[in-house]
Amino acid sequence: MEVRMRIFRFNPEKDRKPHYDVFTVEAQPTDRVLDVLEWIRGDVDGTLAFRRSCAHGVCGSDAMRINGRNYLACKVLLRDLGTTEITVEPLLGLPVIKDLIVDMGPFFEHYKTVMPYLVNDELPADGKERLQSPEQRERFDDTTKCILCAACTTSCPSFWSNGQYVGPAAIVNAHRFIFDSRDQAAVERLEILNDQFGVWRCRTAFNCTEACPREIKITQAIAEVKRAIQTGRVE
Amino acid sequence: MSTLKTTLTGYAGYRGREGHWAFLLHRITGLGVVLFLTIHIVDIAFVYFQPALFLDALALYQTTLFGIGEIALIFCVFFHGVNGLRIAYFDMFKPGLWSIEMQRKTTRTTLIIAIILWLPAAVWMVRNILLHNYGIVLFGG
Repeated sequence: MEVRMRIFRFNPEKDRKPHYDVFTVEAQPTDRVLDVLEWIRGDVDGTLAFRRSCAHGVCGSDAMRINGRNYLACKVLLRDLGTTEITVEPLLGLPVIKDLIVDMGPFFEHYKTVMPYLVNDELPADGKERLQSPEQRERFDDTTKCILCAACTTSCPSFWSNGQYVGPAAIVNAHRFIFDSRDQAAVERLEILNDQFGVWRCRTAFNCTEACPREIKITQAIAEVKRAIQTGRVE
Repeated sequence: MSTLKTTLTGYAGYRGREGHWAFLLHRITGLGVVLFLTIHIVDIAFVYFQPALFLDALALYQTTLFGIGEIALIFCVFFHGVNGLRIAYFDMFKPGLWSIEMQRKTTRTTLIIAIILWLPAAVWMVRNILLHNYGIVLFGG
């Protein structure tokens, strides 16, 4: 099949404003968008800039807007896009460094604010490990799957309109520890998120859940954090 | 890209599903209700400050253009209200309902309920506009 790739281009050293380049590519329906980008960079235009690492949906480095929706380029087959006209653009709401590469700095700054690590200053009862029942582990299993690709945060209308909003990814990672029975900093995290730029900025637009390549129930996780703040109970 | 441009690009260009459209419609209908409330507060203030202007305002409201605006307003109130109740119920009582299937299904249901509530009022208001502004009797004349 022949696909027409329209790719967002911006080189801050040369361009005053972004433009789009069009590449016509012969590809297989089972090729991924990442394969096509790799081919263009390798064989047609070596200046095309985009991030990729594992190329198997685990590292989360190739999130981008494909035909107007956030995906991991390594997880989208051409045949699943339903068209041979493909527009590829960088994630929305983060500064573009070059072409499809955005500055992830603001995203990770928000991530760091929610204390995304286990806090427990007490020694384990047996001196070796902190035990947890399967049910206790299951409680936060969904939010452990986050790969920090930023597809959710950059699909969020609240984040587009105000970059101070911590964003869905940061809340997901807070949820992962708030509901972990071994953690002792749930109260601090809930206080951090009980803010106009915390969970209350979520307008339940649901783009985050639809965009998540790991199928995390993000809006549900945010609602659970909201509820924990309202009731004062982590259930 | 400026924040406003990013926001508008996302609103108009992002290919979201039902949730994205429900969010946009919720925002537009909310702004519609705020616009009505602002106009309403101003016209009621005329009663005290400029009674003659209040009568002019009432005459203006009876024009076809404002009549159509009021029909749109009724839709704004119903959609914003029903969708707001849905979101509040999910968020405050049943976070587990925020699944992709439920979101898609309940958004469509919300739109259908809002239209069902709006239609009788819309039909009656169209009938009044035709009757009073054009002398056309649809029913109940």
